[in-house]
Amino acid sequence: MISRRGALIAGGATVAVVGAGAGAVAVAKHDKPEPAAPPSTDNQGRLLWRNWSGIQHSYPQARLAPKSEDEVAQALKTAPGPIRAVGAGHSFTALVPTAGSLMSLDGLAGIAGWEGEDQAVVWCGTRLGQLGPALAAKGRAMANLPDINKQSLGGALSTATHGTGKTLVAIHADVTALRLATTSGEILECDADKNRDIFDAARVSLGALGVITQARLRTTANRRLHRRVFAEPFEETLAKAEERWARHRNYEFYAVPFTGLAANITHDETDAPAIPRGPDTDTDFLNMLRAMRNLLGFSTPLRKAAAKTLLSAAAQPEEAVDEGWKLLSTERPMRFNEMEFHLPVDAQLAALKEVVAAIEAKRPDVFFPIEVRRIAPDDAWLSPFNAGPRGSVAVHAYYRDDYAFLFELIEPIFRRHDGRPHWGKLHSLHGQQLQALYPRWDDFLDLRRRLDPDGRLLNPYLKGLFGLQNA
Amino acid sequence: MSRLLIIAAAGLGLAACGPKKPPTPAEAAALRPADARLAQLYDASCKACHAQADTGAPLVHDHAAWDPRWRQGEPVLLDHVVQGYQAMPALGQCASCAPDDLKRLIRFLADREGDGR
Repeated sequence: MISRRGALIAGGATVAVVGAGAGAVAVAKHDKPEPAAPPSTDNQGRLLWRNWSGIQHSYPQARLAPKSEDEVAQALKTAPGPIRAVGAGHSFTALVPTAGSLMSLDGLAGIAGWEGEDQAVVWCGTRLGQLGPALAAKGRAMANLPDINKQSLGGALSTATHGTGKTLVAIHADVTALRLATTSGEILECDADKNRDIFDAARVSLGALGVITQARLRTTANRRLHRRVFAEPFEETLAKAEERWARHRNYEFYAVPFTGLAANITHDETDAPAIPRGPDTDTDFLNMLRAMRNLLGFSTPLRKAAAKTLLSAAAQPEEAVDEGWKLLSTERPMRFNEMEFHLPVDAQLAALKEVVAAIEAKRPDVFFPIEVRRIAPDDAWLSPFNAGPRGSVAVHAYYRDDYAFLFELIEPIFRRHDGRPHWGKLHSLHGQQLQALYPRWDDFLDLRRRLDPDGRLLNPYLKGLFGLQNA
Repeated sequence: MSRLLIIAAAGLGLAACGPKKPPTPAEAAALRPADARLAQLYDASCKACHAQADTGAPLVHDHAAWDPRWRQGEPVLLDHVVQGYQAMPALGQCASCAPDDLKRLIRFLADREGDGR
């Protein structure tokens, strides 16, 4: 039986051969060039900061790397504003760029301690990828993880970063207490009993209330999970999705445009012996989809026919058994830009169908699969999952490709279905548009004014987002 | 004929130098800069891609992957790290890294730590 990796590589080779036969090899290499990069330093010698995908950048006047909570608090009081905290730079929106101070919490990382057996007190500069093994050393784990584990804990909380699972909440909803450094130089302890309003606002707060230095995280036993990846016709996945969300601990799928297929991923707890995950095949898969786009993007019927032939060999299920932190996140070496909205669950699949149809009708340059997940509700004020579960749909564009279509073609679909945007991913909503989606929006803005009266944490993007252009 | 001799001599030279083998996955995972602060920066950023064979990033201490890059010169490598290049994200996702940190990390990854001193 051919392995999935082998099939993908063979499939990619077949595309190239078919292309050569048609005299079209050069087309396969006609990817757009590397986007022009901003200079490494500006004319004042300030070092460039740029986000992961490359579309946001700035030249901060000061770069801060505090080694203690006191240094964080002091910097918030005295450093040149706007002061923006940064983690791994995985946000696609302009949350981070600042001409003032860029603050990294890389120096405040690791597990600070434990409360009881199951609550870890974690420094917010900790990268999620490092937190997994650190918790596992004590037999514990985060209940869920996002698709990518490069983010810092602080960044993940502040943007409501999430995984998938009908009964599983986003990371910020597993926070039972936090410490918030504010621009007055104070450290506020917040939990369900102390500073409750600030606790509910700060868990998802875009770095606009202060800097969260520490969070106490609810953890679970570090169980092994059985991971299964399989492809099937898109329509079949649509018909079975709700049942799979109900049945599996974690379930998500990727609709693969121009193929008629969907890739499904399930995780369930098991006591079976470990079967480590094999080498990454996702990048091979993406490269094959890109090759098909390059060669056959001119004809959707041809592209679909080729996909049906080539991907059928790649449809062998992949299985692995291992600890959850080793399976739930995936390496993403291929950079992209992304828009993700969180929809009422009843609207999720209808919106997805519209998105796929719109892309296949109007954007043959798109080749990235569309990610579809489900998230349980929580009560943080600016959580997209506030007051009810949500179903997310995420559309990606290769980092060298045009992404304007996300705003022009995709966002109107999401908005028509009452979607709330992921705070770290591309969207154009602001002010009253967000007020209409979040019952506690005004309360959040009142609290922001109280905690940061001089707007030291507001960069131009946040001013626009909050509808404070004249602030 | 002289061309063959040159090629043969070059081959012997390489054999005499004993080209370094790329690290095994276990060796790559265990490699860390000796300096504690640099090791912390490496663990939080570079290691996620450069210590794993299947990410597409040149593996730490893999001379076959690094030597052609090193020949481009440190300023070019530093620009690629600061600005991001192809799959490499800007600053290697290390916002707290200063240019000197990045230079030292590049030297460590390329197994050229002696070259920069």
